[in-house]
Amino acid sequence: MIQSAAPAELNRTSPLREAYLEGYRWMLLARLLDDKLASLYRGGKIHGGVFLGRGQEALSVAIGLALKRGDVFAPLVRDLAGRLAFGETVLDVVRTFMGSVLGPMRGRDGNVHRGRPREGMLPMISHLGAMTAVVNGMLLARRMKGEHGTVGVSCVGDGATSTGSFHEALNQAAIERLPLVLVVANNRYAYSTPNPRQFACRDLVDRAVGYGVTGHSLDGTDLAECLRVMAEAVRLAREGGGPQLVVAHLLRLCGHGEHDDAGYIEARVKESALGRDCLRVAEERILAESWVERAAVEAWQAERAQLVEEAVAKVQREPGPDPFEEDWLTLATGHLAEGDSSNQSS
Amino acid sequence: MSVTYLEAIREAQARALRQDPRVFIYGQDVGVFGGAFKATKNLAREFPGRVIDAPISEDAIVGLAVGAAIEGMRPVVEIQFADFSSVGFNQIVNQAATLYWRTQVPCPITIRLPSGGTSGSGPFHSQSLESVYSHYPGLVVMTPATVEDAYGMLLEAIAIDDPVIFCEHKLLYYHLKAEQLPTEALPAGRARIARAGRDLTIVAYSAMVHESLAAAEELVSEGYQVEVVDLRSVKPLDTDTVMASVARTGRLLCVGESWPWGGVSAEVIARVASEGYDLLDAPPQRLNAKDTPVPFHPHLWAAHRPTARSVTNAARKLLRS
Amino acid sequence: MPQLGESIAEATIVSFLVREGDVVEVDQDLFEVETNKATMTVTSPCRGRVAQFLVQPSQSYVVGAILGYVEATREEAARAGFDTSMITAAAQPNASNESGPAEPKEVQGVQPTVRGLPVPAHAQGASYMSPRLKARMAELGLHAADLAGVAGSGAGGRVTIQDFERFIASLEKQKISPASSMRVAVADAMRRSWTRPIASVGLPMALDALFAHRRQADPKPGPALYALRALALALAENSAPAGRLVGNKIVHPSAIDLGFAVEATDGVFVPVIRKADQKRLENLVTPYNQLIALAHQRKLPLEDTGGAIAVVTNFGTFGLTWATPIPMPEQTLVLGLGAARMAPRWDEAQGQFVPAMEANLTLSFDHRVLDGGAAGRLLSRVAELMSTPEKL
Repeated sequence: MIQSAAPAELNRTSPLREAYLEGYRWMLLARLLDDKLASLYRGGKIHGGVFLGRGQEALSVAIGLALKRGDVFAPLVRDLAGRLAFGETVLDVVRTFMGSVLGPMRGRDGNVHRGRPREGMLPMISHLGAMTAVVNGMLLARRMKGEHGTVGVSCVGDGATSTGSFHEALNQAAIERLPLVLVVANNRYAYSTPNPRQFACRDLVDRAVGYGVTGHSLDGTDLAECLRVMAEAVRLAREGGGPQLVVAHLLRLCGHGEHDDAGYIEARVKESALGRDCLRVAEERILAESWVERAAVEAWQAERAQLVEEAVAKVQREPGPDPFEEDWLTLATGHLAEGDSSNQSS
Repeated sequence: MSVTYLEAIREAQARALRQDPRVFIYGQDVGVFGGAFKATKNLAREFPGRVIDAPISEDAIVGLAVGAAIEGMRPVVEIQFADFSSVGFNQIVNQAATLYWRTQVPCPITIRLPSGGTSGSGPFHSQSLESVYSHYPGLVVMTPATVEDAYGMLLEAIAIDDPVIFCEHKLLYYHLKAEQLPTEALPAGRARIARAGRDLTIVAYSAMVHESLAAAEELVSEGYQVEVVDLRSVKPLDTDTVMASVARTGRLLCVGESWPWGGVSAEVIARVASEGYDLLDAPPQRLNAKDTPVPFHPHLWAAHRPTARSVTNAARKLLRS
Repeated sequence: MPQLGESIAEATIVSFLVREGDVVEVDQDLFEVETNKATMTVTSPCRGRVAQFLVQPSQSYVVGAILGYVEATREEAARAGFDTSMITAAAQPNASNESGPAEPKEVQGVQPTVRGLPVPAHAQGASYMSPRLKARMAELGLHAADLAGVAGSGAGGRVTIQDFERFIASLEKQKISPASSMRVAVADAMRRSWTRPIASVGLPMALDALFAHRRQADPKPGPALYALRALALALAENSAPAGRLVGNKIVHPSAIDLGFAVEATDGVFVPVIRKADQKRLENLVTPYNQLIALAHQRKLPLEDTGGAIAVVTNFGTFGLTWATPIPMPEQTLVLGLGAARMAPRWDEAQGQFVPAMEANLTLSFDHRVLDGGAAGRLLSRVAELMSTPEKL
């Protein structure tokens, strides 16, 4: 296991400053977009659910920034920041949440279940732990095709570590020694279930040894640490070090979804260091380090708020899917599709 | 020379591996060992690095195949027994079957399920799950009944851009022989008239085609000409061929080795009843395995699944109604 | 089993009069059997030894069923009218009459026809019709009633599609002419009506008073109009007998609208006189005659047809003295009037028969709605009203 080092002194020209500021800007965009989505949900503009990444932006953005174009990313529910940093557009996000027919899922699936597999971003299914084996398959296929140097990140939460899929896929990746980085965002609650009801080991990162993979642990409220550890884990995987298990310690600063008030989260946990808002921590550090002036931060906020507003305004004018235009076919092989013929009553 | 159903499956995989670099085989014991049924015998040697032993992780096996398919590969997964596919069910029905519909990225994977009962195999090595998988949109479900179809349809399954559940019947592995491998094949989605007749249509697939053909032969001595339709693929279901046959005979018996509730035979009957009601000269009937787990003892096993004798009895009753 | 009386389809074995192994003479009684009309015996067709009985006492067997076998010499059999092939057939009870490899050997069909019966024995008609048969019948415009005389070879005697096609093919050997649309419409109405239990009552009535009244009337009402008017008044007193049974409710008539049958080419028209209880007889004559004229010209206005609660039919115009007409499907009652004729009537005062004009009055009715008594009371009241025509 690789322990995180104490934060180094930074100055205005250090590479970490640039990464930190870039990370902060994506986190800011993600937070503003999340807030807007929550507002649209409360205004009845979004069907289904809205699931926010509040409190997990630092970890998520670090993943997105550690990856390069051509890598594979299987984000989970609370990875808006990482998705944006990896290359997802605000329009893709808003279109999927609002069910626009122009979005990548065309109204067939919504909210967090979006992706563009051809561009390396997998659309999650709801069954936790199920995406990791798919990432494994992409990585194995690339190796078979002779393509080297790409990495795959699969994101899960503490709850998913209890599934058979999690175990099977991590074990599989270890056997094949795939360049997989499996990130566990331990946000302390799987929906309402606290850690002690989810696992009995001291720390989830302890499991790395059992799988024969490298383990990393990090403070998910600290952007600098997230950037450093994720970059390290991705580098090791890319260089042939086999699967990396990254366990981030943090707290979900919202409900499971916007329908959930998270009343089960104990005050003591909220008030602990885990309960720090990573965005505020990052902002305070930027100002404390004098990396930029407050006015610049405020300008970033205004710009990003504007970006979000414009995207929402645009998507709100876009059509939803038309059931009469929908082909209602599931197969890629047209001549094998039965279509709707067996259901004449529709 | 003669070739068995099992050899046809092996040969089809060998040919696919030879012809298409995107093809690879992944499953438990498929490598040097050659598979629990030897369906991949010698393939690992012939195609190094492309016939890969998997851990006992059906979920991860199928999940990996989906990922490889996204990358443009054409994985062939062997699930050691169809029964064990339940452990990989989620990846099959939720990941593989929905991928194209969700993302427009095709998912060309083939999942081979050694299916059906053999005497003494008991409840967890005997299942026929074609009805279960047919229920899910996004899957093609093939149920070859002949050596020729085992070969031709497996090649087609691998070539198809969609996930295919390939139900190969264990009882046919060694018992079914053909003179040689076919050079041409009927496409999937097309049923075959396995025997022409005019008094009754028996719709069957996989091993039940042979039980039905034997029943048809038996009924000749009673003056009946029974038509046997081999569905070949149960999804898509060739309703047209079934309907045309029922139009000729006026009577329908569906035979399936899977359980009765809401299965392939129920679907065939539902379609004929709703779209071809006026063709029927008697209420359509079906014969399935009994609605219990598959029993171990040969006496119970033989009574659990439809056999030539029970098909004959059901057919005779229907012919006289 | 021989045909033991017209329309007898089956008989029950009462007792055996000989035993298996007995030598019997030609015409010797073998069984005592009982039909629903009589008890009688079945005799041996020839001299020989009783080889086997195939029947059980107290069991019924259809006409044409094989009851047993008598072993006879070839000469004896020939004398009894059997030829060699018949002997062979009798020795193989399961052999089908029809040869050809495709015919099932074990199909337990009945003989398509049995000599001597007006309808084939065991013909249940189309008791069950498969969807395929129904579709085929719909295609040809046939109804279940059309198959009443077809012997089914299917399970439970049902008519199979093969029986049906044979039946259709057999019809094509005869002359076929299209039925007029009027004929088809009447057939349809009668078929629908006949789904109900229809019964008839009747009585003779003296016509002297009616004829006397008619001689003086101008214009002269037809005899049926007297009956119609009388029926209207009787129903006005109590309309319940003209009600219709729908489900478990009686639907009462809303007005005394009465129809009367007018014969036309190949069918019958039924013009309707609305509220016939509210117009006196002399005021009905003109509209009545106009309606008859319009019916003959096939120009009946729509408002003068349909909706009648009962119909009067004068079958006496055909010289008939008695008939049991069938009410229209939507009606419960039909009143019939027979031909008038001179008949002897007992004159109490004179102590002798005297000649008198008389006709039968009949009432056919839906027995679900009315019983014989109620129908009789209604009919007696009609006759009573007709006997005082000046009050009509």
